[in-house]
Amino acid sequence: MALLEIKNLCARVGEKQILKDFSLCIEEGTVHAIMGPNGSGKSTLSNVIAGNPAYEITAGTVLFKGKDLLKMTPDERANEGVFLAFQYPVEIPGVSYATFLKQALASKMKYLGEKPLDAMHFIKRLKVRAQALGVTDEMLKRPVNVGFSGGEKKRLETLQMGFLEPDFCILDEMDSGLDIDALKIVSDGVNIMREARRSFLLITHYQRLLELIEPDVIHIMVDGHIVETGDKTLALRLEEKGYAGYR
Amino acid sequence: MPAIDKIDARTGIDLRVAAGCQTRHEAVDVEGNYVIAVEEGARYEAFFLMRGQKAQIRVDLLGKNASCDLKVVYLSGSGADNILLTDIRHVHPETFSDQTVKGVLAGTGQARFDGVIRIPFDSQKCEGNQNHRAVLLSKDAFVTCTPELEIYADDVKCAHGSAIGALNEEQLFYLKTRGIPQAEAQKMLIQGFLSEIMPADKIKLIENWMDAHE
Ligand SMILES: Nc1ncnc2c1ncn2[C@@H]1O[C@H](COP(=O)(O)OP(=O)(O)OP(=O)(O)O)[C@@H](O)[C@H]1O
Ligand SMILES: [Mg+2]
Repeated sequence: MALLEIKNLCARVGEKQILKDFSLCIEEGTVHAIMGPNGSGKSTLSNVIAGNPAYEITAGTVLFKGKDLLKMTPDERANEGVFLAFQYPVEIPGVSYATFLKQALASKMKYLGEKPLDAMHFIKRLKVRAQALGVTDEMLKRPVNVGFSGGEKKRLETLQMGFLEPDFCILDEMDSGLDIDALKIVSDGVNIMREARRSFLLITHYQRLLELIEPDVIHIMVDGHIVETGDKTLALRLEEKGYAGYR
Repeated sequence: MPAIDKIDARTGIDLRVAAGCQTRHEAVDVEGNYVIAVEEGARYEAFFLMRGQKAQIRVDLLGKNASCDLKVVYLSGSGADNILLTDIRHVHPETFSDQTVKGVLAGTGQARFDGVIRIPFDSQKCEGNQNHRAVLLSKDAFVTCTPELEIYADDVKCAHGSAIGALNEEQLFYLKTRGIPQAEAQKMLIQGFLSEIMPADKIKLIENWMDAHE
């Protein structure tokens, strides 16, 4: 069954049209990768799926689990199971990571009509995942994303994903800024989450990530829409020849 | 400021921090006129929470190394007009003052902050800082800030700044993408904004106010 179905989506900022007739269907339990030159609209796509009000949808439809995603607020989308690991996570001074995660989980439980986790279970749920990703207690006491290194921010994004257990995860260049060891750790963090009902959309510039997290499908996006879809060999071909043939 | 009575009717001084002493003063719903005198080597630290009152606070720094640190949070919702007037007088050379004022306005709330720092010509080597920031949760809220530096001495350091604006859209969006609804996200950001100067035991008052002004 299709988890996410995007049809003929067009989106713009001001007068600038960024997504142009973009279509993509992601089945439950699959991993898709999108590669494409800088400025082709990959982060815009992620933001539009997550509901960033900075982008105006001018045409098209997006169904998530059969529901109209575009009618939902960003928090509703999140609680329905959409998660975006940002390319550039924003800093929020004065709000500690632990408080933030507690509030996020409480919001989800409330949305789903479930009882909130008590403090003990919250800490347990967090600790297990934090340890696996090398996120320390000290980091969790600090304000959200403030002063963290690029690599630390990506680990924390991955931690949030594991913690909130979404059904659909978009990872926007989560491999950029990670050293070799961190890349392995974060990839493992993604791989253990792979299961029958959960799907992923990996946005990346590098074949290396796709060796660590093997996608089922690879798309190439140029100028606001997908120009080619294929299997793993597509990334290898791209590594050799670049985007010259697509522009 | 019910915590303080006029202690000196003749001079009009409400609180005197004696030489070498240090005092910390916290009050909620501050209202009226107050004069605080800080003597040589003494320090006056205050935190005030205002919710639509009018207060005029004068601090006289009377001796060498006298200092004050004034932190004020004001909240102003529909129907309220919060007025804060401060007047810091560096009467003696080598005196130091800091003021941090943060405001949150909702609905048709109004607010005014006028802060004066006075350094007469023989009060050399003084330092005075004043910082004001306000967050507007609605387009109909209104705030004015008029800093006034009356500085006659030439060997002093003085700085003032004021920034007024809405909550950061990107931060709001980030919180929402983690499932946190608008009202909660706003509350978190406001608490984050105020946490720098807000004593932890008063955060609850902010939450209550936000709930009442959604
Ligand atoms: N909020 C915005 N305001 C103005 N222009 C924008 C905005 N967001 C995106 N753009 C523009 O839209 C185009 C696509 O940007 P986007 O960030 O989606 O590209 P990308 O494919 O993610 O690129 P990269 O590989 O460099 O991350 C760019 O030309 C960018 O400058
Ligand atoms: Mg991008």
